[in-house]
Amino acid sequence: MDLSPFETDNSVSCRLASQIPDVCKMEDCCLGIDEAGRGPVLGPMVYGICFCPVSKKGDLKNLKVADSKTLTEAEREKLFQNLDEARNYVGWALQILSPNTISTSMLQRTKYNLNALSHDTAIGLVQYALDSGVQLKEVYVDTVGPAEKYEEKLSKLFPGVDVTVRPKADSLFPIVSAASICAKVARDRVVKGWNFAEDLGEVDADYGSGYPNDPKTKAWLLKYLDPVFGYPQFVRFSWSTAQTLMDSKAVTVHWDDDEEDGEKSAQRQKNRSMLSYFGASAGGNDQNPTHQTHRFLTERRLTSLNTL
Amino acid sequence: MASKKKRTPNVQNDSWVVVAADSVIDTQKPDSDPAFVRLRNPSTDAASLYMLGSGDVQLYEVKAFGEDFHSWFVGQTVQRDGRLLFITPMDPLYLILPYLITAGKEGKFQPVDQVVMDEEFPVCSRLLSCTRSLASLHHIAEEKEVGSQKFHRYSQEKTMNWLKKKVERTVVALKKRNISVGEGVKSTTYVRMKSESDYHEDDYLRYAHGLISEYISEDLSKALLKHLQLPELTSPKETEPPSKKRKLSDKPVEAGEDYTKFNSADFLRKPPKKMTAAQKTLAKVDKTGMKPMSSFFSPKGKAEKK
Repeated sequence: MDLSPFETDNSVSCRLASQIPDVCKMEDCCLGIDEAGRGPVLGPMVYGICFCPVSKKGDLKNLKVADSKTLTEAEREKLFQNLDEARNYVGWALQILSPNTISTSMLQRTKYNLNALSHDTAIGLVQYALDSGVQLKEVYVDTVGPAEKYEEKLSKLFPGVDVTVRPKADSLFPIVSAASICAKVARDRVVKGWNFAEDLGEVDADYGSGYPNDPKTKAWLLKYLDPVFGYPQFVRFSWSTAQTLMDSKAVTVHWDDDEEDGEKSAQRQKNRSMLSYFGASAGGNDQNPTHQTHRFLTERRLTSLNTL
Repeated sequence: MASKKKRTPNVQNDSWVVVAADSVIDTQKPDSDPAFVRLRNPSTDAASLYMLGSGDVQLYEVKAFGEDFHSWFVGQTVQRDGRLLFITPMDPLYLILPYLITAGKEGKFQPVDQVVMDEEFPVCSRLLSCTRSLASLHHIAEEKEVGSQKFHRYSQEKTMNWLKKKVERTVVALKKRNISVGEGVKSTTYVRMKSESDYHEDDYLRYAHGLISEYISEDLSKALLKHLQLPELTSPKETEPPSKKRKLSDKPVEAGEDYTKFNSADFLRKPPKKMTAAQKTLAKVDKTGMKPMSSFFSPKGKAEKK
């Protein structure tokens, strides 16, 4: 697995993929989707797909791929190697969603939540397989959100493909287990060798599991909190763990889409009631009540000063 | 999580982000740096900030661009206020004018350095050092020379002609810069279908008059409006756009749109329900595909979980 495309710029989303086995372009195939790193406040979320001909499902079972959560890191690495050796009939593709992508998606003006991001990533990967000529007949997915709705959504998008969405799909279907191993291995490797874009000097790599409830992760977050910038891009700013710490320890930053109490904020922003525009004296807001600043200046937010 | 952000008041800065021509900071005399000064603003009669260039030869006005939610990154520091100061040349005559008007009420010719005096703003006498000041006094005052001394007396007529020229020059500038001067639309980013040529000369004149009025007293502004032969806009009716003409037809007259729904009590400006800040933040979250908390506690949900 060559992670260099992601490591050159870990601030964006990146796709990694194996060669498409020729047999997958000829025979009906099944495909599994799983993700790794949904919960942690640190590092990327990785989406993986794995596909093989339906006829080779048995062979996949013999590789003893199992739910990645039940395996140690070493076992996962071994299993990934097995998958790699089976490259003449097993293909995979990964989408690494950088923590920065997650932060900016979830915190943008039009909120893009993690579930929507997950769905779209999964859909993108399935589309990638189709575009690459994989003869998809069956798709197995571990659910994100209500299974029925997700299944309906995917079925509609990919007519002619039999979509099965199940909770715990990674332990039910070997092809999903395989996908989960690919995703988990990629995430582990990326997190371990994270290239910090920021100039932090020697970074303390002892950040634990990256899950919000891990004391090591919490300690690390406290240590690397910058009062102005918050965190390196390695941290998901949209996680409440990160937000709470920034709210209490960092400088307060106001954005113009911060919600405040209607009337109060209107007053503070010197906004005027819509009604005032219909009144007799529509004009500026100067210290001198009789003086109305010309709209050339108010439109350009220009004011006179009396002190520096 | 959604703790309410408190605004801390803006603290005094010792640095500012300024846009100014290089010439502003040119030191023309060795030991006189350009300096910020507080002078009486002719339009508001209150103190405003100005700048006198090196050697007091040029006057500049200081305007600040300021909008909420702006800050600067300057080198390796953060400047909390996102203000942008503009230092632009200004005709000192505008600031001298109020003093001449006051003195002119006596009807006497006086030496100008005895007129431009202000206990509150003693700096104002330095305005007379500006290159343009003495040379252009004849625009607003009658001059008399007795021996080597010059005496001045305010002239309303001259001033009106001078201000009219200012307005006309402003109109030229407005046209050149494609400033939209029409009534109604107040957004500068709004893309207009109407081309600028659709504006009447009057619109330009009125707009320019408004701009010049930023530099003169209200009385002068009104007098100038008369001088320009522009009707004064007083009643709100005149500022309203013309009402749409109703087409004549045989059909019975019916209301075009139903506005009665806006009369209901919950269409007031207040938010319909008081929500806490936390609730509001939550309400903003895109919840598609998320299970409600309660689903995890119902017996079926429990069975599903483990």
